[in-house]
Amino acid sequence: MYIPEEVMLLMLLGIDVGGTFTDAVLIDNGAIYALAKSQTTQENVLPGILAALDLVLDEAKVNLPSDMKVLASQITRVVISSTIVTNALLEGKTDKVFLAVMAGPGMSTKGQFPVEPYLAKGYIDHRGKISATEAIDYNIVAQMCDDKKIAAVSGKFAVRNQINEKALSRDLNVFRFLKIFSGSELSGELNFVRRTNTAYFSAAVYTKYVEFIKQIKKSMTERNIDAPVYVLKADGGALPLEAALEQPIESIFTGPAASVLGIEAIAPPNRRAISLDVGGTTTDIAFWENGQPLMAKKGASVAGFNTSVHTYHMQSLGVGGDSAVNRTKDGFLVGPARAGIAMALGGNVPTLSDALITIGLVNFGDSDLAGQAMKLYAVEQESTVDVAKAIVDVAVKKIENTIDEMLKQWSVQPVYTVDDIITGSLFKPELLIGVGGAAPGLIKLLGERMHLPVEIPEGAMVANAIGAALAKPTLVATLRADTTEDYYIIPEAGIKAKLPGGFNQYKAQELLTAWLQKEAAKWQIIAQDTEIVAYEEFATIHDYYSSGKIIYLKMQLAPGILYRVAGREVSL
Amino acid sequence: MIPNLGLVFFPAFDWMLSPTHPERQERLLYTRDQLVEEGIFDLPQIREYRPRMADIKDLERVHIGVPSIAKLITPAHLVSAGGCLTAADAVMKGEVKRAFALVRPPGHHAMRVVQGIRGFCTINIEAIMVEYLRAKYGVKKIAIVDTDVHHGDGSQDIFYHDPNTLYISFHQDGRTLYPGTGFPNEAGSPAAWGMNLNLPLLPGTGDDGIHRLFDGLIRPILDEFQPEIIINSAGQDNHFSDPLASMSVTAQGYASLADKLKADIAVLEGGYSVEAALPYVNTGIILAMAGLDYSQVVEPDQSSLRPQGINCNNRVDQLIDEVGQIWSNKEKTRTQALNQCGHQWQRNKSIYYDEEGIRETQKETAHYCNNCSGYLTIETTATNTRFGNQKAYIVIFNSDTCENCRKNAMNYAAKEKKNGKWDYVLIQDKVKSTVEKL
Repeated sequence: MYIPEEVMLLMLLGIDVGGTFTDAVLIDNGAIYALAKSQTTQENVLPGILAALDLVLDEAKVNLPSDMKVLASQITRVVISSTIVTNALLEGKTDKVFLAVMAGPGMSTKGQFPVEPYLAKGYIDHRGKISATEAIDYNIVAQMCDDKKIAAVSGKFAVRNQINEKALSRDLNVFRFLKIFSGSELSGELNFVRRTNTAYFSAAVYTKYVEFIKQIKKSMTERNIDAPVYVLKADGGALPLEAALEQPIESIFTGPAASVLGIEAIAPPNRRAISLDVGGTTTDIAFWENGQPLMAKKGASVAGFNTSVHTYHMQSLGVGGDSAVNRTKDGFLVGPARAGIAMALGGNVPTLSDALITIGLVNFGDSDLAGQAMKLYAVEQESTVDVAKAIVDVAVKKIENTIDEMLKQWSVQPVYTVDDIITGSLFKPELLIGVGGAAPGLIKLLGERMHLPVEIPEGAMVANAIGAALAKPTLVATLRADTTEDYYIIPEAGIKAKLPGGFNQYKAQELLTAWLQKEAAKWQIIAQDTEIVAYEEFATIHDYYSSGKIIYLKMQLAPGILYRVAGREVSL
Repeated sequence: MIPNLGLVFFPAFDWMLSPTHPERQERLLYTRDQLVEEGIFDLPQIREYRPRMADIKDLERVHIGVPSIAKLITPAHLVSAGGCLTAADAVMKGEVKRAFALVRPPGHHAMRVVQGIRGFCTINIEAIMVEYLRAKYGVKKIAIVDTDVHHGDGSQDIFYHDPNTLYISFHQDGRTLYPGTGFPNEAGSPAAWGMNLNLPLLPGTGDDGIHRLFDGLIRPILDEFQPEIIINSAGQDNHFSDPLASMSVTAQGYASLADKLKADIAVLEGGYSVEAALPYVNTGIILAMAGLDYSQVVEPDQSSLRPQGINCNNRVDQLIDEVGQIWSNKEKTRTQALNQCGHQWQRNKSIYYDEEGIRETQKETAHYCNNCSGYLTIETTATNTRFGNQKAYIVIFNSDTCENCRKNAMNYAAKEKKNGKWDYVLIQDKVKSTVEKL
């Protein structure tokens, strides 16, 4: 991989807030320079973040030759992967949102959204034609607004024409909302329900997020770090803080994304592989092809509602080293609750780690204490090893079932062409990669079950923080042009304009690339290439004569890592 | 809880008959847009399936291609037929309650013998599914309700001798629309009389008319027949905006019909109002089949919807009476006809393949037997096919054709082979799912 010098010379700070630990890592000149671990502070993640940050800065000073004092001011970029959004939703600490939708004819919206929306009249059809438009009923809206400070609006087919959605936002201005999120600006892709929920959840976590960002900025200033601060998104991209404010829900599920990026930085598989990051609380499972993690084709589910938040094709399974173990009359249960640290490390209740230690699959803590943990569940003549084996077996089976489910999901992704069917997109794994503390033993057993070779890359202790530190900035945008109607639209940009002459695929690419680059410059994003994610072109026919073309183009600054760090340099 | 509906969606964005043909890539584009925008594929009541490719064997359980079916199809046909088989499997395995194969290319104009493309169809995807249901799952009694605006002359041809397949088609009167057939007197061969029910409607018939027909005739007949499986050939060109036909049905009309019919498996057929009808009709049918609220699925533009003419319901009432009689008298009529014709029944067919300008003449003979359902022989001559002029002698064995019949038929075939009149002598064996050259 070619890495421009200006990128190599960056001093990158990455922070990852995990379920148990908050990790921080400083990467300089392509190598791990310093790292630190601190307890995650659950109720408010900020103190934990700052503790890890201060620790890693101290560590950096120690490691440094005395003539070259590292200064916080030398850091060129900070990326934070935090659970702030995830926690806010989990704990229900979100704002009430006024939601207005323009659903038009079609499926009933009942139960599709987290709250019953105000149903605005008006409709845009699939070609972007306005079928109806009507002003809101101010009395009803005033009643529904109540004490709500944040609003979300969304219209069916607004990605084809935003005029109705914009008008709706304008109508709502009189209610002086702090902020109004608009579905079609958050995602240019079809799926009204998902866009609506994305706008809703963005609004719901907005003020929490604003507060978090304010505090982060203040803390950085206090430490003389004046580098731009980015947050990690669920799709593995880094986004400047200010830009993230426009789409706060994108910062959900960043832990799994950081884990994938960490693997990409340390040991990207060169075959079709499944990676398993076995942490304390969860096992994050991802699929790999050509050294790249696969992206999910559909958006994430947030609090049980479908959104357009892009993620990797991943599952976070509630099985980890600290998983609680219980015995019922039907057998052992492992997870999804976290029991705390293993008894081998002085904990109070048996965990999966204790089972792994007992059969010698991992080696830490006091193995006698682990054995005692197993004894608690032994009945009659059972040996502690028998108990441990049965427990580990349950965990391995759970992971295997999740992988099967993910394989099944992947195999039913939509196919639109004969070519899709013939070439196929079946995913046949050839390799398992295990990272994380409890990975070595567990994944080896899984490999035996699945008849797959297993790799356990070295030095993946702070893989998530490394992933965050090295995350590339991403931007995504879509363009749809209808030459019969003579317009193109880039919903993410709020642009709808007349087509330039001689419009074709290349003109579409030029337009979209230009916007992406302008946007990147606005956020001072490190220059990188744009790539085409999807392209469709259809000839349209009216009365047996060709009337024009419909062109759809989706491009992005691709997620990924800035560069790889060699395993040797990471090993600790 | 199993999902209410299995949905096989395959728009074949890389298959067309020609760039400006109704069967072009764009056909299901707006339907895809509508379904994705509505969030249909995310609903817990709906499970999406990826179509598989059918085998040539699946095709040869139904069709005899001249010179072979493999030479006449494209991979797209194997996917659309395979999509139907995927839908059938989903229902038969109990993974979903019903299924909809929203696939193209379509099939209901494809007849038993295939020389080329007619009415946009090469292979009959419903018929392939029917024979698959029988071969794989042992299903016997099947009803097909064809709601396409065109008479499904291919399905009629294939099931004309089959007393276990009830084929009911309502369509715009053949005197005003392709393919020109589909009248009540085409009610089946003597052994299957009354199992092929044609209901030609007046142009301009709308929601009221088709529901009157369904409630007054189709529903009671289905109730009496008690099929194990109901299939809907879900063409959508009765829609008021269809460019090829002249009917007045709306998305609501189609959706509530799907709701009443409660087909086990629906298969898309025609429908060429790709922008104004298909997105709404398909959304409506899917929601209805999934047991969801479809009441708000209304075309945004109904300005070209004309109210149904007065005569339309008169025609409907006349059909309820006339076809109702055929249905109730079918056993009596069958016995009489069989007695009259003896061991053989013959029909001559002249078939035109509009897509390729092929003319085919067929002499089809049903050979009856007291011990089995007998067998068929077809003598066919076609001019102007992709392979030039072709003559073939074809023998078709049913799944229960007895040894004696098989021996007799093979003797005939050998004789025909010897006389040199034919380019091909072909034997279709439904037990082996093969078509072999003698």
